[in-house]
Amino acid sequence: MIEVSGLRKTYGDFAAVVDSDFAVDDGEVFGIVGPNGAGKTTTLKVIAGLVEPTDGEVTVAGFDASDPEMRRHLGFLPEESPLYEEMTALSYLRFFADLYDVPREVADERIEAALDRLELDHRERRLGDVSKGMKRKVAIARSLVNDPDVLVYDEPASGLDPVTTNSVLAFTRELRETGKTVVFSAHNLYHVESVCDRVVVMNEGRIVARGSVDGIRERHGETTYRVFTDVEPTATPALDDLDATTEEVGDRFRTTVPSMDAVAAVREAVTDAGGEVVDIRSREPSLEDVFLDIVGRPMPGRYTGDSGDPGDSGDSGDPGDSAGDGEADENGETRATATEATE
Amino acid sequence: MTDRLRRVGRRLAVGVRRVLRVARWESARASGGVDRRTLAAGVALLVVAGGVVGVGVATGVAGLDVDGDIYRVGVDDGSPYADAIEDAPSLRPVPGGTASLGDAADAVVVTVVRPGAGDDGAIDSGEVEEVIVRASDTRKGEAAAASVREAVEAHNERLMRAEPNRTAAFPVTVTLRYVGRTTGIDDGATLGGSDGGSAGGSDGGSDGGGETGGDGGASGDGGGGSGAGTDASDPGSTDAGTGSSGDGGFAVPSIGGGAFGADTVGSPGSITPPFPFTSLLLAFVFLVPMNFLIQAYGSSILDERTNRRGEPLLVTPLSAAEIVAGKTLPYAAAAAVVTTLIALLVGGGALSVVAVAPIAAAFLGATFVGAMFARSFKELTFVTVGVSVLLTTYAFVPAVFTNVTPVALVSPLTLVVFDLQGEAVSAGEVLFSTAPMAVGAALLFGLGLGVYREEDMFSQKPVTRKFLDALAVRLSPVPAGGGILSRDRRRALGSVALLTACTIPFVFVAELLAVAVLFALPITVSIPVLLVTIAFIEEVAKSVGLYAGFERGVFERSDGDGGGTLRVALAVGLASGTGFFLAEKVTAVVQAVGLTDLFLGRAAFGDVTGLSGLPPVALAALFFAPLVLHVVTTGAAGVGASRGRTAYALALTAATLGHAAYNVGVVSLG
Repeated sequence: MIEVSGLRKTYGDFAAVVDSDFAVDDGEVFGIVGPNGAGKTTTLKVIAGLVEPTDGEVTVAGFDASDPEMRRHLGFLPEESPLYEEMTALSYLRFFADLYDVPREVADERIEAALDRLELDHRERRLGDVSKGMKRKVAIARSLVNDPDVLVYDEPASGLDPVTTNSVLAFTRELRETGKTVVFSAHNLYHVESVCDRVVVMNEGRIVARGSVDGIRERHGETTYRVFTDVEPTATPALDDLDATTEEVGDRFRTTVPSMDAVAAVREAVTDAGGEVVDIRSREPSLEDVFLDIVGRPMPGRYTGDSGDPGDSGDSGDPGDSAGDGEADENGETRATATEATE
Repeated sequence: MTDRLRRVGRRLAVGVRRVLRVARWESARASGGVDRRTLAAGVALLVVAGGVVGVGVATGVAGLDVDGDIYRVGVDDGSPYADAIEDAPSLRPVPGGTASLGDAADAVVVTVVRPGAGDDGAIDSGEVEEVIVRASDTRKGEAAAASVREAVEAHNERLMRAEPNRTAAFPVTVTLRYVGRTTGIDDGATLGGSDGGSAGGSDGGSDGGGETGGDGGASGDGGGGSGAGTDASDPGSTDAGTGSSGDGGFAVPSIGGGAFGADTVGSPGSITPPFPFTSLLLAFVFLVPMNFLIQAYGSSILDERTNRRGEPLLVTPLSAAEIVAGKTLPYAAAAAVVTTLIALLVGGGALSVVAVAPIAAAFLGATFVGAMFARSFKELTFVTVGVSVLLTTYAFVPAVFTNVTPVALVSPLTLVVFDLQGEAVSAGEVLFSTAPMAVGAALLFGLGLGVYREEDMFSQKPVTRKFLDALAVRLSPVPAGGGILSRDRRRALGSVALLTACTIPFVFVAELLAVAVLFALPITVSIPVLLVTIAFIEEVAKSVGLYAGFERGVFERSDGDGGGTLRVALAVGLASGTGFFLAEKVTAVVQAVGLTDLFLGRAAFGDVTGLSGLPPVALAALFFAPLVLHVVTTGAAGVGASRGRTAYALALTAATLGHAAYNVGVVSLG
């Protein structure tokens, strides 16, 4: 459904996307992940025909991305969704349906269906008076008024509260069931993990990993084991060699080790100390861990709690990615939820 | 062929349908953005403004007096001044016998008669020895005395005009004809020429048949009548600052005299030039609604860019041109409706509407570009105010000289004045007056459309960078390899030539504006300034696109291959100069309206008339000399542009000076 070949986009001396190749199949939910300035938004905008590539070819539903006819098959949700605030949700959506030559009766049916599914009330209220989450839902509904084959969603849950986020993600999963092809970007990796079939990981304009979420995890992450004991394991040369780390958690001790052999070593050390193993849990690597492994730095704000990534100088040249910087606080909170969810 | 036409027709129909859809929603959206109270306040303001203008016009046209009866003047019925004071609207006569200064009267007329006369209560004019006007020692008293003096003078004027024996009333009759200067530089003359200079002297017998006709007075007829021995002679001289006595010029026209028009009958002191005040005022009314429209329009365009609100529109099947046309249409339609209504109200006709249309288009086009370049509503405010001031100046100032010189036709508003005066204009004059603005407006929309794309719309670049982007997007890279005239190279150089050619309307407008501004200055000052100004305008027009091309990376500034860059700079300079030369020939239209009859017109736009005796080779050389000039100077500026901003500024200065020197040569030949 989407073919990206040799894509390159430069702004002056700054290369936003470099030699990018990937393909998205029909009915697939495809994720593009990466930090701010990685080139995600630029890639999506090239796919949507908004930005002309410096080099390379992009086809969508059989059309060149620059072909205006392609846009009839595309629904696009930008990272931000400022709407015409003086219009109501209904008139706003009708306006866009009109631009796509959708007959009024058909448009109203689609609008009603989308708004019902998104649980959007206040359809006659001015958009300037509704919440951010509501606006986002209206923007999502807008991307569906022409019943497109391909949906390009840039950070669809960015800046939303957890309830709205879950609603939007669930809706995206449903789109896959209706046969839509969805390309989805996020720097919140939990969102990608929970929705996407396949992903590419981008960093500094280049694709640095690709494949299914599980496949990438296998290649770039390791399962760790957490051994909970009632006493602190006695320090032994075997444990030291394993880089085992022990933390006190409440009235117990948690020792994290990388293999089942190490678990046996911990059990032995605990027994030597006169205690016993209370529980053992395995922990699969999250995409976040994989990302850290690939890119070599944490996601912005993920571990430091900073509101942005001060080292991410690439933003200045990539107008598409610049808007995400200010939302790290909310994203950080969501990611904490995500981390818990993966455990 | 038929299929092709059908396809084109179908595509056009689809385009029109899309534009109308956007326009319909834009109208609904715009009306939803203004609450009823704000709308009501706006309407109230308009009504008040209209009322003020209406009262002003009524005052001038219908003779309503806002200062009626404000001075009380004590005067006896038998006084020779009684009738004059009775007739003066600002004076209220009170019985002289009972009037006391400062209390019942602001001024008192005392008539001194010969001893014994007037005992019967009636005063015969032969018995009057002296008439004294005494006024209270206050500012109002002084004003009252001045008003009495004016009233008496006006009364006397009326009496003389009513005198059946004209020769007795006016022993010397002066016939005024306002003509345009066609002669060369005369020290102290103005660019506009001897407007009120020549006069045909005649002694008696004239019934004023040759007089100019007030508001509807004849414009300079170029007749250049000569005469001598009149108080309005001294052709070519200027008397800037007064301009009220037919003394040879009216650089600053007087608005005194009759009902806002020229007062052309009477004593020399009361004669004023043909200044069409009423028509001008009414014509100005056409411009007022534009200021409201561009505020709303500019806000709507910028609103699309603020927070990326218009981004979803760019992924619809509509083209940028369709979106912009749809968004502009409601405002253009509103301008058309308002203009038509005003035309109906002030007595204008279709000509007024046709004349105002390009002004409205220019307002909208300039606002569109400004809104596309502005980074915030604050910047937009400066843009809209700037647009308003610039275009109002351009439209209004030349129109002041409607009845005086063809220079006035640079403004479409002049056509409105002609229309309101009931004067016919030729199709050529309409074209000359409206085409530059209309084409300029279209090109402004084209310029703005160049940056109506995601990469430029939502970025916060400085205005200058956006301007360069808008130009650069119209250029194609000049290929380094390939044949000298390979297809790609031809396309690239063609894009340069076309871009430069498109600057011609702006060059024309800028030069006409310079002409209009310098019109009133003495030639010794204005000609040198004009020649350098015109050279600068043209050099900028030819080279700014090249600078944009190099600055925005369309033409490569290769560090390692200086020779390659130089070749590219010279090639684009050649293309730009040629494009400018070809497009410049369009300005030949000035010949159609006689602008080059003026010395100023020849200086600004060149004129080789009178050179018909030269051999063909010499004529060809003269014809192609501008091409050589443009190519050389633009090549130099192009080389500067390829080396950076400072080098470009220096090269541009050098090119301007060279061009100015050439202009001096042309003027000397002329």
